[in-house]
Amino acid sequence: MILRFRELFDDFFCLIFEIKTNAEVFMKKMIILTIIAGIVLWSNFSFARTKFVALPERAETIIRLDNPDFTLVEEERSLPLQKGTNQVDFSWAGVNIDPDSIRIKILDHPEQVKLVSVSYPPGENALVWQIYSPEAFEEKIRISYLLKNIDRLITYKAVADKNETKVNLQSYLVLRNFSGEDFSMAKILLDYGETFEKAVAHEETRQMLFLTKDGVPIEKKLTFDARKLPWDPEKVQGNVGIPVTYEIKNEKNSGLGEFGLWGGKARVFQDDGKGSTIFLGEDNANYTPAGEKMSLYIGDSRDIVVSQKKIKDIRINVRRNSDGAVVLYDTDEVIQVEIENFKELPANLTLIQEIPGEWDMEETSHQYEKEDANILKFNINIKPKAKETVTFHYHRRNVR
Amino acid sequence: MKIKTIILFLVFCYAITYAKIDLVTLPERDKVQLTIYNSADLTFVRESRTLTMKKGENKLQFSWANTLIDPTSLELLVLKDADKITVTDLVFPPRITGLGVWNIISKISGKVPCEINYFTSGISWQAYYLATLSQDEKTMKLEGYVKVSNRSGEDYENAQVRLIVGKINLLDEIANLAKRYPPHGRPEEPPIPKPVPMEATVSYDRVKELIKAAPAGRIIKQIEKEGLSEYFLYTIEGTETIPDGWTKRLLSFSQDKIPVINLYKYDESRFGKNVVRFLYFKNAKSHLLGKEPLPDGLIKVFKIADKNERLSYIGQDNTKYIPVDQEVELNLGPVKDIKIEPKKMNIKTLNYVFDGKGNITGWDEEQTWTVKVSNYRKIPAKIEITRTFPHQYWTIENKGDFGEYKQMDIRNVRYVMEVGPETTKQFTYKITLRWGTRQF
Repeated sequence: MILRFRELFDDFFCLIFEIKTNAEVFMKKMIILTIIAGIVLWSNFSFARTKFVALPERAETIIRLDNPDFTLVEEERSLPLQKGTNQVDFSWAGVNIDPDSIRIKILDHPEQVKLVSVSYPPGENALVWQIYSPEAFEEKIRISYLLKNIDRLITYKAVADKNETKVNLQSYLVLRNFSGEDFSMAKILLDYGETFEKAVAHEETRQMLFLTKDGVPIEKKLTFDARKLPWDPEKVQGNVGIPVTYEIKNEKNSGLGEFGLWGGKARVFQDDGKGSTIFLGEDNANYTPAGEKMSLYIGDSRDIVVSQKKIKDIRINVRRNSDGAVVLYDTDEVIQVEIENFKELPANLTLIQEIPGEWDMEETSHQYEKEDANILKFNINIKPKAKETVTFHYHRRNVR
Repeated sequence: MKIKTIILFLVFCYAITYAKIDLVTLPERDKVQLTIYNSADLTFVRESRTLTMKKGENKLQFSWANTLIDPTSLELLVLKDADKITVTDLVFPPRITGLGVWNIISKISGKVPCEINYFTSGISWQAYYLATLSQDEKTMKLEGYVKVSNRSGEDYENAQVRLIVGKINLLDEIANLAKRYPPHGRPEEPPIPKPVPMEATVSYDRVKELIKAAPAGRIIKQIEKEGLSEYFLYTIEGTETIPDGWTKRLLSFSQDKIPVINLYKYDESRFGKNVVRFLYFKNAKSHLLGKEPLPDGLIKVFKIADKNERLSYIGQDNTKYIPVDQEVELNLGPVKDIKIEPKKMNIKTLNYVFDGKGNITGWDEEQTWTVKVSNYRKIPAKIEITRTFPHQYWTIENKGDFGEYKQMDIRNVRYVMEVGPETTKQFTYKITLRWGTRQF
């Protein structure tokens, strides 16, 4: 509320407030812009502010959601400026505005109308602009500020085809307005996708479909990470599932690739071929820059069984000091991984293995890629109803 | 009694004041399909409803007070004339719980078939098995059931029921999302509240009424089974009425004369000094199964005890999920009528190594073990003995009636043998363990 307004109508205001509390509704929270007309002497400032003149209406309002942590509101208002220095109060109650983020832009006569100064009255959620105008203008200005407790969630819905080769991708913008402010009409925009023009009430959540892409190619992958999953599933109570992920490339081929895709909860469904769908699982999609992959862990496969064991581990090339104590040795190790595909479809499995320290590969049954110095990745294709054995024989070197 | 129900209003109203809704129609559910998951408390509900639209702006209000619906999953799909009807957004209005409003812009007026989809918690299903062994314990009859329970707060009448076998990834529990207000949380979120279990509130009379109303079908329903992605989908023939608070058990399959092997395991690293009985078979055609994976569930195993087919109870196990063609080993618990006694009979140390100061740095240890295997039963038994050594630096020498010997990995070896009825076998192994610098 504006300062003087509150003082003048203090009793009235309190009355309203009490009634509302009794009725268990919230106190009206709002952002108010006041213009105090006339040429004001700076020394007389605090008195000058007592003069209530006009309450300019909001014109175009934009809620910009392109920063993951902050929401920027931009609103345009028309100020009836008088010739000389005008004082404009911008104050707020019940909303949380970062005062340092407030900016003003003169739109109609930027060459003539000048912002002279900005002051912050003590102990108030307000600031005061001194605007100099060479003549009386009905001046359009734009005020920008960061408003708290209003944000967006991005959610995805993907429906895969029966063969799991592509998805119809939809993305929703969920606007959560708990800022204290009612917007009678505002443009809501992200950095991509559709924009919306909606009324947004305080404490309202609004879910809007803002992006649809059909036929986005996907890659389905199964991953056995030997660092995380048990080696012998037989000894485990319950099944050891092999994590299944869908990968979507944020690129032109996918009908995407123009912008980074926001992170958010993604729910994946699949067409059952009979006019209905099943839910496959959900994951939190990470922010995916253009050109990168969005990886969604949807669930576990229990029709692929991986069991791994060490079948050799001895010390070789032992070096001793003059006392005969061992100071350095190498190892001779063999790991054997058995993969069984109980499905009637082929499967692509990525095996992740770790060999610590310094090492040399002696022999492998399958090709691998080095993820880094110690992480090995084997990409294995297993035929339907088949069994595949991966063996790798290596030496760890110079173990102390 | 709390009112737990899903209400759908179609309203034509241009004001944003939700309290003054002009109620126009209350469309009934035409069809409802439930897809129930067993690995998570989640059911995917698809409801078909016919909505009467007016040209222009329409508002469809959906309320779900006191049910366990996840409002973030709500979706309205227009099935016909989708190009003429646009669902612009879904609004969860301020300070009202359990209510959402869809804004729809229609270029046509008239009846429009629509689908409303959402997740609910509170409906679950489990697999349940009854196994009956023949008197000679060579074959088994296996009956598989599915048990569907509804504690969702909502009665589902004449619903098509589908069951999913599989492990899905879920970020939040649906029951927690159902309790959350506002539905999508707030900026700077407080933690999601813990769910409160729902109580069933449907009276028995109501259930009888619902069941009576259900259309008559075949006495034993067929369950259609098919694989989708990494999961398995069971579709129960026809429709089911499952009132809130009730459980239904349906037969999924029944198969007699499945050949089984009684397998007894001795593995101190897993079962201590016990001999544990397993029932071995394969979920494959060779065992008259293999048409579908067997979902994880409780299995109760009985045995035909006499000629009058009286039963004797053997035990129960929680089975794992068993893919088609995989071997099954049901753990029926420790037994007393098979005994396995390994005994250390002799110890010897040798091959000492000394360092420059004359201290011991390495040696060998020779242990001789005798293993006595006794089958006190009147039927033959297959026995699997696993021995675990402290490290990988060893050599072994087997003697006597040790059956089939196999090194499993660097520290485990296994002996597999058949032991006839009321028979005792014995074998010996000498293990030489290398310690200290003898390991290099």
